[in-house]
Amino acid sequence: MLNARTALMIFLVASLGTLQGCSTLGVKPWQRDLLARKDMALDANPLDAAIDDHLYFSKEAASGGKGFGGGGCGCN
Amino acid sequence: MQLKTPANALRLGLMAATCALLSPPTTHAADAPEDDGPWQVDAGLLYYKENEGRVRTIEPVVNVRRNLGDDHIVGFNFAFDSLSGGSPNGAIAAKSKIQTFATPSGSSLTPGSGPQTYVSPSGNTYTTLAKVTLYTIQPGALPLDPNFHDRRISFDANWSQPVSTNVKGTVGGHISDELDFDSLAVNGALSRDFNAKNSTVSFGMNAELDKIKAIGGTPVGGSDYAQLLKTGSKSKHVIGGLLGLTQVISREWVAQLNYSYDRSQGYLTDPYKILSIVDSTGNLMAVSSSTAASPYRFENRPGTRTRQSLYVGNKVALGLQTLDVSYRRGKDDWSVKSDTVDVRLRVPISNDWYIEPHVRWYRQTAAEFYHLYLDQVDAIPQFMSADPRLAGFTATTIGFKVGVDLGGNNELSLRLEQYQQKASERFSSLLNLQGLDLNPSLKSAIVQIGWKMEY
Amino acid sequence: MGDAGAASGGSGITPQVVRRDDLTVAISFSAMASPCEVLLETQDLALAHELAGLAVDEALRIERKFSRYRDDSVISTINASHGKPIAVDAETSSLLSFAAHCHVLSEGRFDVTSGVLRRVWHFDGSDRLPSAAAVAALLPLIGFDKVDWQPPNICLPAGMEIDFGGIGKEYAVDRVLGLITARFDGAVLVNFGGDLAAQRAPASGEWRVGIERPGQHRSAALLLGLSQGALATSGDTHRFLLRAGIRYSHILDVRTGWPVPGAPASVTVAAGTCVEAGMLATFAMLRGAEAEAFLETQGARHWALRL
Repeated sequence: MLNARTALMIFLVASLGTLQGCSTLGVKPWQRDLLARKDMALDANPLDAAIDDHLYFSKEAASGGKGFGGGGCGCN
Repeated sequence: MQLKTPANALRLGLMAATCALLSPPTTHAADAPEDDGPWQVDAGLLYYKENEGRVRTIEPVVNVRRNLGDDHIVGFNFAFDSLSGGSPNGAIAAKSKIQTFATPSGSSLTPGSGPQTYVSPSGNTYTTLAKVTLYTIQPGALPLDPNFHDRRISFDANWSQPVSTNVKGTVGGHISDELDFDSLAVNGALSRDFNAKNSTVSFGMNAELDKIKAIGGTPVGGSDYAQLLKTGSKSKHVIGGLLGLTQVISREWVAQLNYSYDRSQGYLTDPYKILSIVDSTGNLMAVSSSTAASPYRFENRPGTRTRQSLYVGNKVALGLQTLDVSYRRGKDDWSVKSDTVDVRLRVPISNDWYIEPHVRWYRQTAAEFYHLYLDQVDAIPQFMSADPRLAGFTATTIGFKVGVDLGGNNELSLRLEQYQQKASERFSSLLNLQGLDLNPSLKSAIVQIGWKMEY
Repeated sequence: MGDAGAASGGSGITPQVVRRDDLTVAISFSAMASPCEVLLETQDLALAHELAGLAVDEALRIERKFSRYRDDSVISTINASHGKPIAVDAETSSLLSFAAHCHVLSEGRFDVTSGVLRRVWHFDGSDRLPSAAAVAALLPLIGFDKVDWQPPNICLPAGMEIDFGGIGKEYAVDRVLGLITARFDGAVLVNFGGDLAAQRAPASGEWRVGIERPGQHRSAALLLGLSQGALATSGDTHRFLLRAGIRYSHILDVRTGWPVPGAPASVTVAAGTCVEAGMLATFAMLRGAEAEAFLETQGARHWALRL
């Protein structure tokens, strides 16, 4: 079950974990060759993402999640 | 095919860096501002078509973005959307009866030749005799409003820039206009990098104000369909917040974790959706045997909705391929819970061409006030909706995208996908509804042509 | 020897301008702790004097601006910033970005923050190795990935230092060559302490460049012909430590703080620009025993000397 408090807790624990574990997670600057690829960007296709957000917003009850996606439409 | 990294990649990188260092050969007397980047234009044309003559839309979209120097980035998004076709009005199929419905086709408040509008004693509710177009639905068929059409123009602008070391700020706005809906939104976000940019924490807020100006007036939620109790325009607003963490896990893997929360308040009802009321045999309620004017009710949703979601996104480099996997868990206080899994794999097939298969799986539970239909013997509930989008269903998207690099940062792509919804509650045991699919599957095709360019 | 004279730049240092028998004019001066030489194929002494002034001014400008030994240099300002962000000018910015690229390209081996190791390593030919603890204590102060470089702002953590010792001289060679060729269309060669770059071949066909025999000043172990491009050398046969029969070169691995084992005594690399040649030579030395193989892979002409 996901309620606001547990979700926030999961989030904070995950955040703290990564912030403290910086010595193990992450890469050196010269290891960013793959991450620097255009298709490795988390928002590599903003247009597709916007179209999908809009489409699924108008067909399903859930929306967003990745960002503030899909709102501003009378279609739902 | 020449996809392997050349052996002397290091030297090529060094030559490029050296070039950047030594040019221009003139003196560095004045500090010239960092050069502007090119305009990055991302244009797309979406064609979306549902089965059985349902909704069809054509949508051109243009997204432009430019780095004005020093990471001051401005972006605009423009979309035009034209919709037509039949949209389920919420009523169910009837086994043996032709059903008649009305599509309002003009504002109830438009002065006509005679009195069209009567103000009720409550002062803000009108009983209208709006101009309507009648349509009939044959026995056994799902009632679709065939006169459904809309067009939408939307415009987004955003700006982002560094605000201090490691901190980036973003502000944005959205405005859109439809025949029956206006929307205005603003958002702002701050993000901060940690651990040599391996971790980024962001926080954003969003506020949206919408105006619902349904054609023929906005119905009073829950009112009798035939009484046409309508009001003028209504509004709703949404306030949301988002907490995000982006983490580089390894050389091949970057992940994103978002928690978002938003609260909507105001008129959240769909002004065009109704519910059927049936008797104990499954026939539409006989109007003569009740005080109702019709066997249909306008739907009525609660005035607030609180939604939360947890999103986990991943990008993983698998050699030259790129895997994009995400999962989203959503929940709202209408008791809609959803799970979404989205997987894309970008596979280069030559120097210039790539193919990207895409699979998406979605599941939601029904809203607590969702009903396929209302039962005459029960009291009319306060909140009710037969909108298929609030039903429990699973949906799958399967498709692929192919793209070709035309050189000079130009890319052409084609996306072909099929989307299908299957409702979990579709049949009734009532005698006269047996054998009728009351919430038939939605099937649609998505065709998208994309063009990325720089100039 | 032909006519000799002196030209004066605005810098106060007076370069020697000498017409030589081989139809070239040799300009010589001292800057960046090195003998500096510019060879021009011209008969126009007045022009040679003018260009000599230009060369001296530019070399000294770069030295003043980037020397870690001068309190008024940009580098000293950055090094004294104690962790506060500092905005730098465009030239410093392009050098820092270059250093950042080199750090990435060399997978962290080349690092402009490695200079603090000089506090414990003194390559004076003796056997005085630092203690492992002393070296380890400095490692937290090394690593360009700890520097927050977001052009044009740099935030250098307190205690860390930056120096352009590994780039500055080669950069000056390319800059001076660029300034001269913008005004002079004859053959030119700029040589600052052994790192050199040439534009256009002399009438004789090629510039003849001697690579010094290790430890023997002005005694060529090898004679190269160069018509265009650059040569740079990394390695210093005078700077080492010797203990228990093991020779410790002054090429330090920033990841351990200790000398890279198996590096050649020196390596000379040919490339399009002096900066590129110098960086390839440095990268090669940092690869130790694989120095030659590395240069082979990168397709760089090179001459390695091993003792």
